Amino acid sequence: MGKPKHYRPPGKKKEGNAARYITRSHAVKHLQVSLPVFRKLCILKGIFPREPKKKVKGNHHTYYHLKDIAFLQHEPLLETFRELRVHDKKIKKAKAKKNEERAKRLEVHRPDYKLDRLIRERYPKFIDALRDLDDCLTMVHLFAALPALEREKVEVKRIHNCRRLSHEWLGYISRTHKLRKVFVSVKGIYYQAEVQGQKVTWLTPHAMQQVLSDDIDFNVMLTYLEFNETLLAFVNCHLYHSINVRYPPILDPQLEALAADLYALSRWFAAGSRASKVDPQPSSLSGSEEGQGTALKESELRLAQLQHQLPSNEPGALMHLVEDTADEEVEEDEDTRECKKLFRNMKFFLSREVPRESLLFVIPAFGGVVSWEGEGAPFDENDDSITYQIVDRPTQTRRIFSREYVQPQWIYDCVNARIIVPTEGYLVGRVPPPHLSPFVDNDAEGYVPDYAETIKRLQAAAKNQVLPLPGVGKEDLEDPQALLAEGVIDRAEANEMKALEKQYHDELKMELQRVPYSSSTSKQVSVEETEAGEETLPDIQQIAEDAANMSKIVMPRKKRGLYEAIQIGKQRKRDKVNLLVERRKKLKESQKS
Amino acid sequence: MARAGKAKATATATATATATATATKTSPSDSDTNLNLKPKQKLKTKTNNDKKGNNKNTTKKNQTQKAIEAQLNLNLNLKQKQKQQPPPVSDSDSYSDSQSDSDYDGDFSKDDGGSESEDYESLRDSKSEESDSSGDEGNVNTSDNGDLASDHSHEDESESSDAHEGVEESDSSEDEVAPRNTVGNVPFVWYEDEDHVGYDIAGKKIKKKEREDKLQSFLASADDSKNWRKIFDEYNQEMVEVTKEEAKLVHRMLEGKAPHADFDPYAPYVDWFKWDDAKHPLSNAPEPKRRFIPSKWEHKKVVALRRAIRKGLIKFEKPKEEPRVYLLWGDESDATEKSGHLAYIPAPKTKLPGHEESYNPSLEYIPTQEEINSYQLMYEEDRPKFIPKRFTSLRNVPAYENAVKESFERCLDLYLCPRVRKKRINIDPESLKPKLPSRKDLRPYPTTCYLEYRGHTDAVLSISVDPSGQWIASGSMDGTVRVWEIDTGRCLRVWNVDEAVKCVAWNPVQELPILAAAVGPDVLILNTDLGSEEEQERARELLEIKTLPSPDDSDKAASVATWHQDDKHGGIRLRHFKTVSSVEWHRKGDYLSAVLPADILAIVVHQISKKLTQIYAIKLRGGLPVSSVFHPTHSRLLIATKKNIRIYNLVGERKYKTLETGLREVSSISVHPADSKFKPRLDISILGDNIIVGSREGKLCWFDTDLSSRPYRTLKCHPKDINRVAFHHSYPLFASCSDDCTAYVFHGMVYSDLNQNPLIVPLEILRGHKSSNGRGVMDCTFHPRQPWLFTAGADSSIRLYCH
Repeated sequence: MGKPKHYRPPGKKKEGNAARYITRSHAVKHLQVSLPVFRKLCILKGIFPREPKKKVKGNHHTYYHLKDIAFLQHEPLLETFRELRVHDKKIKKAKAKKNEERAKRLEVHRPDYKLDRLIRERYPKFIDALRDLDDCLTMVHLFAALPALEREKVEVKRIHNCRRLSHEWLGYISRTHKLRKVFVSVKGIYYQAEVQGQKVTWLTPHAMQQVLSDDIDFNVMLTYLEFNETLLAFVNCHLYHSINVRYPPILDPQLEALAADLYALSRWFAAGSRASKVDPQPSSLSGSEEGQGTALKESELRLAQLQHQLPSNEPGALMHLVEDTADEEVEEDEDTRECKKLFRNMKFFLSREVPRESLLFVIPAFGGVVSWEGEGAPFDENDDSITYQIVDRPTQTRRIFSREYVQPQWIYDCVNARIIVPTEGYLVGRVPPPHLSPFVDNDAEGYVPDYAETIKRLQAAAKNQVLPLPGVGKEDLEDPQALLAEGVIDRAEANEMKALEKQYHDELKMELQRVPYSSSTSKQVSVEETEAGEETLPDIQQIAEDAANMSKIVMPRKKRGLYEAIQIGKQRKRDKVNLLVERRKKLKESQKS
Repeated sequence: MARAGKAKATATATATATATATATKTSPSDSDTNLNLKPKQKLKTKTNNDKKGNNKNTTKKNQTQKAIEAQLNLNLNLKQKQKQQPPPVSDSDSYSDSQSDSDYDGDFSKDDGGSESEDYESLRDSKSEESDSSGDEGNVNTSDNGDLASDHSHEDESESSDAHEGVEESDSSEDEVAPRNTVGNVPFVWYEDEDHVGYDIAGKKIKKKEREDKLQSFLASADDSKNWRKIFDEYNQEMVEVTKEEAKLVHRMLEGKAPHADFDPYAPYVDWFKWDDAKHPLSNAPEPKRRFIPSKWEHKKVVALRRAIRKGLIKFEKPKEEPRVYLLWGDESDATEKSGHLAYIPAPKTKLPGHEESYNPSLEYIPTQEEINSYQLMYEEDRPKFIPKRFTSLRNVPAYENAVKESFERCLDLYLCPRVRKKRINIDPESLKPKLPSRKDLRPYPTTCYLEYRGHTDAVLSISVDPSGQWIASGSMDGTVRVWEIDTGRCLRVWNVDEAVKCVAWNPVQELPILAAAVGPDVLILNTDLGSEEEQERARELLEIKTLPSPDDSDKAASVATWHQDDKHGGIRLRHFKTVSSVEWHRKGDYLSAVLPADILAIVVHQISKKLTQIYAIKLRGGLPVSSVFHPTHSRLLIATKKNIRIYNLVGERKYKTLETGLREVSSISVHPADSKFKPRLDISILGDNIIVGSREGKLCWFDTDLSSRPYRTLKCHPKDINRVAFHHSYPLFASCSDDCTAYVFHGMVYSDLNQNPLIVPLEILRGHKSSNGRGVMDCTFHPRQPWLFTAGADSSIRLYCH
């Protein structure tokens, strides 16, 4: 019998990886907790497994660093969780003994824990929290769209909290014009904002009934949600304070009931800024309200509003908001200023069928004024100053000629291109042009879709224009359309150019492969000549290949492996692009015929 | 019993009651039910008699009633059965009645219908009495109540006894209404086909009444407004007309109401129980003491609670709510403090969506149906996770079915996946390639095929070039050894040896133009008859066996190899005990080593001048020997076994060194430089230090024996077996040839400076040979003076590549 593989003589301390890492089951035993509690602790504390260089216990274990586990061991939450367990047992016992009173009393005094300390610990600086915000936002937005589930312990309260938090976040982003990119995908709507120099991307699901499958452990998700909710609340608080708005916002309950939280929030912002700056006279405010108030209930409501310094339902409030922002922030960057101006002096009206929440967020974020069909809207459909009406139906029967009826995709495409895209393709009843992802670098990918090129042309055209006067949006639109037509003509010429270019590139490539230009071409000729006699002369391609192979032979094995892997990756990418090009060609052919 | 149920029950009761004494069947099909009902009917006769005011009817009425009853009986009965539920609010009276009934006579309780009908009767009775008593109630004192109750019970008893009497007298009741039909209680089915329906008392047939035919009856009915009330009574063979009152009764029953209009099923509830205390208690026992003293246990409980409250174990005030959200990162000043914790590795962010994930992607992103089908053939992990879809407008986009699942999977990833900081390799692959000197500077080297020597009819296995560089010898599978003139390609001589020639080797001494060829177990030493007269003479002399070798160790040597004169080919034939795989000359041209693929006695060295055979008793480890080479300067022999290279001192017959190749199967070996004579430039000390080894897995190893016993460089150049490697005698060139029909030419410069590593540069890939039976280029060798390479192919040709 030989010694075991990792034999350590008695009395000798563990060293190296064996001393630094322990497996998960060891860690659980070490902490004297159950696995679910350990999991919860890990999630809340942000402890994750690490990969030791040498896996002492074998490949199929999860390893934690001993320092991480020691960190958990000194966590007060560990004790709280133990207390909770004891407390739950007490409650259970009391209930089993039919001691309802005691059970109720115990229920009230359940040990509570707070996560603010953990957040501070995990993210010592605010910027750190922002960096990690992606998953947090995605999750909170997802839960905001979920139904409450009794059997999975997803309470209505939490769903509402998620909704509130997500709206607060959207409200801030919209108000400060931090939104940069929007992408409507099959999975939902992706947004990308730039907060304090950090790119924050999140996904909101489509506002539909979500599909819930059975193989989901909601315990894990709820633990994450618990942390994420707290984190987002603190982040929101910090952001709101940074723009001098009180947190938490107190919203107009009437608007909230109408599910127009975002609008309510924007009014809260407006109120906050006015309160801090202009300091409105309460008497005049109340006077204007007096004229409107009729019902007893409403007057009560207004009383509450007055207490919270809320503006009333006057449509002018929104106008105020938009005007105010002009002189407010001086230290904003170039990007923000550009975004803020995009929809300036445009008025949008949303029909019933469009995704209201998303558009109510996006349009104000880019400086537009928006209203919707339904109660509580700032202005109604008959308003003459509306420039665009967003509709998503096969046909629009009642039309007002002073405005354009466009599909919602137009908004998103405008936002991504940062120009007012001609509405031509987006009018009601038409199939809109393809919606492209703003997250893709087309040049790096190697394939540029047609529409991306069109948009690029439009952007170039918009930049060349000397001074796009605000307020004359109509003329603005005319020009790019003409340019679009020009672009189509250009493309035909470009195709010819491409053929020439390709030849040039081929030659360049040959040169790179150290095949002398003259010799290769002359050889080609000679090959053709001598082909009848003997085919011993290897063709030009063979030579090029050989030349490439030559240096590969002398590479060390590791480098060669890496090189081959890179080549495979590149080949795969090229294949993908080729497939797309192939499909495009086929499509064009089928369209012609 | 429910009130509705009760109503039904009463309905049947009356119906049956009126149907009374004619205890014969209405229809044959109903016989079962009727049999069931029989006691009930009997019972009813008596009660009927009691209620003369209500129920006494004419016979005619009875009959019609009975006919209707026949139809209703069955379903009503069934309904009754269904309604057998305990009453939510029971009339205490009727309840007690039925109780008493069942007490009185077990027979009754068995028949539910009977007892219920009885119920009804009693209810009616009680009703009338109730009205009486309610009338009285104003006057009667509470004390009378008891009497009243007792009265009730008494009356009930009398009633039930009446009922009992009724049962007893039921036989006589049949006589009261005499049936005109005397057929008896006999099913009509028996007479279905007969003219008569039965027999009278005298035994005469009772004729069936002639039925009117349909037309007549229709005509008769057409002008008769009362027609709908007419029913044919089969039993008595006559038409019966239902009166209006009866029709109404039936209607009410059909509607499920009580048959009598004046019956109120929802009469207000009368509470018969006396709730106020009786004057005299039932028990006269004195109150127990425990009712007057406080409970000890309660007291204990209170004390415990009080104590708990005092100690603060029980708190009544709610825990205070602290402000939940506050400015957490209020002052960033102390944020710089370093926690002594491990570095936090942020989780990688999720991949951002590309064009194909759009709800409305460009058309080219959408795969065709065939492509989607072809995904099914892929491996699970290669299959695309996401298939792009196109929706023509935003309103058509459904909820994403995996939204929650993907979020969950992300959660799992976040807390379950080990995190490591990894450097992202973002390098230009071209930069990985080593910088090689330009090939132009390394010229000359063989590049193009210049000549082809044709003549062999099978694969050429081995070639060897004359040290003068004029002739080339080749051995082939077709059993011939040929000598060619290099410049012209003319075949000079052919020896036919009738067996595959595995190996040929020129004697390295220029003045001795002889050739060794391995043919099966023999080694042939052939005189080529080339060179000057003098040289030819010497060669002929050498190849003549005059004396037998010295007899000192002849036994052992003779067992391995024997010397014969070969007259046919004009040379010597050395016969071995086993097949010879390769032969190799010593640089002085006197010794010849042959390799036999055996475990021991594998290496045999022959001395031509003395015709001697030496055997080296070497035990080889690392598999069978493949090839052997003499060291260019020292008296050492390098033996390549399948796994490694072993170097032996020939003087002391001792192992000098072992080189670990790390290859699977070595096929050939070559020492640098092949011949020291042509390398005057090189320092003598480094000669023979560098060895190249080719292997069957297509790898080529360069050994620097001074440096290490492991390869200095391993080159993986051929995809198939390497058959032979060769160094050039004077130029810094080496070559390898392989079964993939190519030969590689390398620049291999060895420096005299020991600190400088050898420089290896691949120069050229030579193609031209064709594959035959899976074999490609079998042998390659350099020209001794020129940078030319000869290759022998399995396609039976020899090629010369020149610079």
